[in-house]
Amino acid sequence: MLWYALGSILVPAIGSLLVLLLPERHAKKVGQLFSFLAFVCGLLLLVGFAADRASFTRDLVTIGGISFYGVTIDALSVLVNFIVVFIGWLICTYSAGYMSPENREHPIKEGVPRFYAFMLLFIGSMAGVVFSSTLLGLLFFFEMTGLCSWGLIGFYGDQKSRKSALLAIVLTHAAALGLYVATAYVFVNTGSFSVNALNELTDTGKIIAFIGILIACWGKSAQFPFQSWLPEAMVAPTPVSAYLHAASMVKVGVYIFARTVLATGAVPQVIGLIGAIMAVVTMIYGFIMYFPQEDMKRLLAYSTITQLSYIFLAISISIYGSKMAFNGAVAHIFNHAFAKGLFFLVAGALAYTTGTRLLPMLKGILNKIPVVGLGFIAAAVAITGVPPFNGFFSKFMIFVGGFEIGKLYPLILVLIIVTILESVGSFIWFLKWLGASVLGAPSEPVAGASQVPFAISLVLAILMVMTLISQYIVLTLLS
Amino acid sequence: MTGVQIINALAVLLIITSLMVVETRRPHLSAHLYSLQSFVLVLIFLCLAVFMKATPLYIWSITALITKVILVPYLIIKALEKVGDPGEPGALLSPASSLLLAALFIGLAFLIVTPFHMQAILKLKPALAVSIAHFLLGLLCILTRRNALKQILGYCLMENGSHLTLAFMAYNAPETVEIGILTDAIFAVVIMSVIAISLFRVLGTLDTDKLTLLKG
Amino acid sequence: MQVSGNLLVWLLVIPFVVSLLAFWARTLGAGARRFLEAVHLIGITLLLVLTLWVIKLVLINGSLLALSGWFYADKLAAVFVLVIGLMGFLNGLYSIGYMRHDLVTGEVDRKGLSTYYGFFHLFLFTMIFTVLSNNIALMWVGVEATTLGSAFLVGLYGHKSSLEAAWKYVLICSVGVAFALYGTILVYSNSFSVVQNAHDSMLWTEIVKHARLLDPMVMKLAFVFILIGFGTKAGLFPMHAWLPDAHSEAPSPVSSLLSGVLLKCALFAIIRYYIVVGKAIGSAFPSTLLLIFGVLSIAFAAFFIFSQRDIKRMLAYSSVENVGIIATGLGLGGPLGIFAALFHAINHSIAKSLMFCTSGNILIKYGTRDLDVIKGMLKVAPFTAFLLGSGALAVAGSPPFNVFISELLTVTAGLNSGYLWLMILCLLFLLVVFAAFLRLIGEAVFGSPPENVTRGDVSFITILPIFLLFILMFGLGVYIPSPLSDLLKGAADIVLSGL
Repeated sequence: MLWYALGSILVPAIGSLLVLLLPERHAKKVGQLFSFLAFVCGLLLLVGFAADRASFTRDLVTIGGISFYGVTIDALSVLVNFIVVFIGWLICTYSAGYMSPENREHPIKEGVPRFYAFMLLFIGSMAGVVFSSTLLGLLFFFEMTGLCSWGLIGFYGDQKSRKSALLAIVLTHAAALGLYVATAYVFVNTGSFSVNALNELTDTGKIIAFIGILIACWGKSAQFPFQSWLPEAMVAPTPVSAYLHAASMVKVGVYIFARTVLATGAVPQVIGLIGAIMAVVTMIYGFIMYFPQEDMKRLLAYSTITQLSYIFLAISISIYGSKMAFNGAVAHIFNHAFAKGLFFLVAGALAYTTGTRLLPMLKGILNKIPVVGLGFIAAAVAITGVPPFNGFFSKFMIFVGGFEIGKLYPLILVLIIVTILESVGSFIWFLKWLGASVLGAPSEPVAGASQVPFAISLVLAILMVMTLISQYIVLTLLS
Repeated sequence: MTGVQIINALAVLLIITSLMVVETRRPHLSAHLYSLQSFVLVLIFLCLAVFMKATPLYIWSITALITKVILVPYLIIKALEKVGDPGEPGALLSPASSLLLAALFIGLAFLIVTPFHMQAILKLKPALAVSIAHFLLGLLCILTRRNALKQILGYCLMENGSHLTLAFMAYNAPETVEIGILTDAIFAVVIMSVIAISLFRVLGTLDTDKLTLLKG
Repeated sequence: MQVSGNLLVWLLVIPFVVSLLAFWARTLGAGARRFLEAVHLIGITLLLVLTLWVIKLVLINGSLLALSGWFYADKLAAVFVLVIGLMGFLNGLYSIGYMRHDLVTGEVDRKGLSTYYGFFHLFLFTMIFTVLSNNIALMWVGVEATTLGSAFLVGLYGHKSSLEAAWKYVLICSVGVAFALYGTILVYSNSFSVVQNAHDSMLWTEIVKHARLLDPMVMKLAFVFILIGFGTKAGLFPMHAWLPDAHSEAPSPVSSLLSGVLLKCALFAIIRYYIVVGKAIGSAFPSTLLLIFGVLSIAFAAFFIFSQRDIKRMLAYSSVENVGIIATGLGLGGPLGIFAALFHAINHSIAKSLMFCTSGNILIKYGTRDLDVIKGMLKVAPFTAFLLGSGALAVAGSPPFNVFISELLTVTAGLNSGYLWLMILCLLFLLVVFAAFLRLIGEAVFGSPPENVTRGDVSFITILPIFLLFILMFGLGVYIPSPLSDLLKGAADIVLSGL
C-alpha cells in the first residue's frame, strides 16, 4: 500500500526527468507511459484500500527525531489521489492529441518535452500533497504544485501568459505564507510538524493555526479575496486548465482544509463560521461574474470558483458536527473533478476543431461534432447538479448536512438557502448556453470544424461515463 | 612635567598635525605632514615605553618609525609622482566647519571613554579620547575629500588612531599581533595606491566624484 | 579531548603555497596556462580533502588546536571551513572553464591568469585564516586580509567600472573593518584585566571562559564596534554600499566566492563576539542589534532586488537579503534560530554560487548582464536555462530546494521567540524577492533570444560544477544528512553555551 502511494508520487517525478533527458520525439510516449503507471499505482491503491480499509500514517524522513515528511493513507487521500492520477493520465493522453501543429487555436510546434515535464512533475507533487502526513510536507508540495502551475500557465511564453503566470504564483505564494506561519506555529507549540499535532494546540492556538491554513487554502482554491489569478490563468493550454485549474490543483486548498479539519478532533466553531461566510461571499461573487463572460474558459473558471466555495462551505459546516457535510465535501471534490475536467476538455476540443472558444460564435455543436456536444451536455448538467449525474449526489449531501446544522444555527440556514438559490441560478444560466450552443443549426466556425482526434474523443467518452458513475465510487469508500 | 602630562600634550599635538593633514590642499604636502604626525606617534610610543615601563613599545616605536614615518609616506609620494599630483578639486567642507567637527569628535570621544574603569588606562583617559577622535578625523577626511590619494591618507590617519589606542590598551600583546596589524595596514596602502593609479590611467583623474558608473 | 591539529596548519599552508606557485608561473611563458590549471586543480582538490578530514576529526574529537592554541577549530569553525572548502573547490573548478574563455577572448592575458589563480588561492588562504584564528587580533587581521586578497580579483579586468568597484570595495571595507579593530582592542584590554596573561587574553577560548567577569559597559561598546566593522564586510544594511558593485564587477567565480563565502566569514567573526558578549552581558543586547540590522537588510534589499535590471547586481542585493536572514536567525536565538542561521549560511552559499556561476555562463553566451537582452535561454542553452531556473527558485526560497527549509526554520524560530508579526513582515519582504526572481525566470528563460546569440550550451567544464551545486541544492532541500545536522547542532550549542 505504502509503495503504491509512493509510486504515485515518484513515478511521475522520475518520468518528468526522463522527458527532459530523452530526445524530443519520445516526449509524448514517455509522458503517457509514466502518467499511466502512476494511474496504475493509484488504481491498485484504491482497489486495495476498498478491500481492507486499513488507514495508517507512516513517517518517512526523520531528522533529529522530528518527522519532516510522512505518508497518510485513508479514504480521503486514496480517493483524491485517484482523481489526481486518473485524470492526470487522461489529460496526458488528451494532450498527445491536443498539443500538435494541427491545433487551430494554438498550433504547437515546440516545447512538448517541457509541457510533459511540468505535467508529470505536477502529478507527482499533487500526489505528494494528498499523501502528506506533515504540515511541512503539505507546504512543500503546495509550493511545488504552484511552481508547475506557473510553468504551465506561462507555457506559450508570450507577454500575456508570462504575466498571468506571475500573478498566479505570486498570489498563491502570498497566500501560502499563511501555511508557513501555521506550520511554524504548530511546530513551535508542539515540537512536531505532523498534521495530527494540530490536536495538541489550545483553542486559541487552533484558531491561529487554522486562520493561517484557511488563508493558504483560499489562495490555492482561488477564493475571495485571492480569486483573481484563476480567470487570468485561462491563457494556459486547455488541458492544463482542465487538469490544474479545475480538477486537481485548485483542490489543494479544499483538500488541505479537509485534511486538517479531519485530523483535528474539535475545530473551534469560529473557524467554521469564517469559512462558511467567506465561502458564500465567494459564491455570490463568482455567480455575478458568470453573466459578462463570453469566453467559455473564463465562464468555467468562475464556475470552478463557486463550486470550490460549495466545498469550503461543506467543510466549514462539518466543523459544526455534520459528518454528512464532510462526506459531501469529499464527494464533491471527487465528482466536480470529473465534471469540470470534462467541461474544459470540451472547451479544448472546440478550440482545437473550430479555433474559437467564444460562446456566442459556437452554435449547433451536437449536430456537427456529436461527441463534443454530448460532452457539453453531460458536463453542464453534472456541474449544475441534475440527477442522475454525479454533481447531484454530492450537492444533495451538502444540502442535507447544511439543513441538519441549520436547524441549530440560523445563520448557517441562511447561508445554505443562499447556496441553493445560487445552484438554481447557475443551472438556469448554463441551460441558456446549453440551448444556444449545443442545439440548433451549426454556426460558421462549427460548420467548418475539423476532425476530432481519436485521443480527444476517447478521453471525452471516458469522462462522460465517469460523470455518471463516479458518485458510486465515493459512496462505496465513504460508507 | 609628569609623564602623563607629556603624553597628553603629545596627543594634542597629534590632533593638530592630523588636522593639518586633512586641511592641506596639496596631497604632496599632506603626505609629508602625515610623516610628521607619524613621528609624533612614535614619540608617544617612546614616552609610554619609558613612563609605563612597557618594554614592548620600544620595538613598536621602531617598527612604526620604519613603516609610518618612512615607508607609507614614501609610497604615497611615489604614487603621486606617477599621477603628477593634480592637486585637489576642492573639499565638501570649509576649514572652519572641519575644525568645528573635529572639536565635536573630541567631545564624542570623551563621551565614549567615560564608562571605562580599567585600572591601566584611568590616568590616560584624555589621551585615549584623543586617539579615538583621531580615528574619527581620519573618517572625516575620507568622507569629505574627493582626491583618491587624500582618502588613502585619511585611512592612514584612522589607522594611526587605532594604533595609538592599541598602544594604550594592548601594548603587552604578543608581537605577532602588532606585526599582523601593521602588515595589513601597509598592504592596504599599497593596494589602494595601485588601484588609485590604475583608476587614474583609465579615468585621467583622481577625483572620486567622477566614479559614477555603478549606481543603484 | 583536544587533539593537536597539524591538519589545521596544512589547511593553511596548501592554499598559500599554491598561491605562490601561481604567482611564480607568470615567468613560465607559453606553458603557463597548463601549469596554472594543474596546480590550481591540485590545490582545490587537496583543500576539499583536508576540509572534509578536518570536519571528520572535529566531529569525532569536538575540537582541534594547533600552534599552541593560536589556531582552533570547533564545530562552529568547522561549519565555515566546510563552506570555504566546498565552495572553493566548486568555484575553483568552474574558474578553469570560465578563465579559459576569458583568455581566448583576450579579456585577460597569461599574466592576468597567473594573477587570477594566485589571488584566488591567497583569498582562500585569508578566509581559512580568519575562521581558524583563535587569537582575536589575528582574526581581525584575517578579515582585513580577505579584502586585500580579493581587491585585485574584483578589479581584474581593469575596466573603468571594475576598478571603480575595486576602489570602493577596498576603501569602504578597510574603513569599516577598522572599526572592528577598536572592538577587538576593547575586548582584549578588558580580558587582559581579567586574565592577566598577555598571550591567553587574546585567545577566544580563554576570553569565553572568563566572559562573565568582563566589564558590561565596555563589552556593549565593543560589540557595537564589532557589528559595524564586520557588518560592513558581511554586507549588512546600511554598510553594504560596496557590495553590489564589487559582486557584480568581479569575474563570476569570484563574485560567487565573495557572496557565497566571504560574507559568511565576516558573519563568523560577528558570531564569535556574539558568543562572548552574550555570556558577558546576556544575549538581549546583541540579539536585538542583530535582529534590527537583519530585518532592515531584508527589507531594504528586497526592493532593490526587485528594481535591478543587471542580473549580477540583482544577485548581489539578494546576498544582502540573505545575510539579513542569517543575522535575523542569530538575533532570534535559541537552538532553532542559531541552527537555522548556520544552515542558511550553507544553503545560501550553495544557491548563490550556483546562480553566479550560471550568470557567468550567461555572460559567456550573451556577452551582457542586462536583463533586457538576456531572453529565450530555453532556446539558446536549455540546460543552463534549467539550472538558472532552479537556482532562481532556490534563491526565491521555493521548494524543493534547500533555502526553503532554512527560511522556514528561521520563521519557526521567530515564532518561537514570540515575534509573530515581525516574521509575517519578513515573509512579505521575502514575497517581493520571490516575485522578483520568478519574473527573472519568466523573462530570461522564456521568450525569444536575440539574433546574434549562437545556440548550444557552454562547454562541459563550465556546466559540471554548476550541476554538482544543483545536486547539493536539491539534496539539502529534501534531506539533511546526519553528520551535517550533528555538526550544525554542535555549532549551535557552542553559540548558545560558549564552549
